[in-house]
Amino acid sequence: MEPLTKKEKRELKRQEKLEAKEQNIKTRLLKRVAIWGAAFLLLGGAVAGVFYLDSAEPSQPALLLDAVSPTDWTKGGEESKAILIEYSDFQCPACGHYYPLVKQLAQEFGDGMQFAYRHFPLPSHKNAELAARAAEAGGAQNKFWEMHDMIFEHQEEWSGKSGAGAQADFKQYSEKLGLDTARFDSDLDSDAIKNKVENDRQSGLRSKVNSTPTFFLNGQKIQNPRSYDEFKSLINDTLSK
Amino acid sequence: MMNLNLSSTTLSPNKAKVIAIAFLIVSFIGFLDSSYLTVQHYRGEPPSCAIFTGCETVAESKYAVAGPIPLALLGLLYYLAIFILTVAYFDTKKERLLLLAALLTIAGFLASLYFVYLQLFVIKAICLYCMISAASSTALFTFGAFAMFRDRDSKQCR
Repeated sequence: MEPLTKKEKRELKRQEKLEAKEQNIKTRLLKRVAIWGAAFLLLGGAVAGVFYLDSAEPSQPALLLDAVSPTDWTKGGEESKAILIEYSDFQCPACGHYYPLVKQLAQEFGDGMQFAYRHFPLPSHKNAELAARAAEAGGAQNKFWEMHDMIFEHQEEWSGKSGAGAQADFKQYSEKLGLDTARFDSDLDSDAIKNKVENDRQSGLRSKVNSTPTFFLNGQKIQNPRSYDEFKSLINDTLSK
Repeated sequence: MMNLNLSSTTLSPNKAKVIAIAFLIVSFIGFLDSSYLTVQHYRGEPPSCAIFTGCETVAESKYAVAGPIPLALLGLLYYLAIFILTVAYFDTKKERLLLLAALLTIAGFLASLYFVYLQLFVIKAICLYCMISAASSTALFTFGAFAMFRDRDSKQCR
């Protein structure tokens, strides 16, 4: 092979430099694509994961351990093929959101469905337990559902008040409903009613209730339906089984 | 006063790298957290009340939105901005991007202070997810301050 002239050598070097430069640009581009690709994949995956978790069915369907008993407050037909049990907290906004839906369901299905309301006052809601006792005190004078409705309908008013303020509100409701207010007051503090609320809460804990509202349809915990129609068709499905 | 000079390159490469990695991790946690709250918000119905999180009272309060915009979404955009700026720093190695992110963390931290105050003294309920966000932005601010103070220290040492 002929030795390269000086000019050829220079040319070769220039070529090599150019190639190295091109290679450099390519690696750099690849690196950029990798960095941004990984970043967006991570962000996209995170958002998809959050959506998935939010709508995922519970992996192990929770079962209700305590069937409807004579001490439960119920609506509808006892012989019905669809039994809906709600664990609820009067101070929980989501329960307040579901209150008119459930009321309408009970009205629409009548004896075709049985609905039971159980107390599950959460510790983070300071007036919830008192509200549960107020509903029970109404129940002691055969006005449980009337008191229950009244408490939910005025949820925003008494929720923000102190314990004494909320109690004054509940007493006012009892007066409006024509109850014996002196008896209402003493019932509110009675051990029987305190125990009833606590028993409901304990039964919820046994069935792994950890948030409100929690609905059990024929003993099986359901995802909270997103609309009235969804709720209705869920019950219709159960009835047609 | 802090001596901020965004165009200077005074962070040592190692420090910058540590801060950048911390920014990435923490802003990602904040992003996850606030995207969960944003999804909850746009589902339209109040979130169910859980034994531990206590978010329903906070998320349903009038303080959860700034006009039509949920604060959760603002938080999401904030963490996204920090994350993107940090990725851009890894891409370009331009330190001013990292310092810009560090500047942003001041706003994030002040906002978080205000939100924690609202939860403790005005709404009187604590939302676990909002507290995670407050912790994230506090951590970001700490790393951010570290980035900014380095700037001054290294100048004094010269």
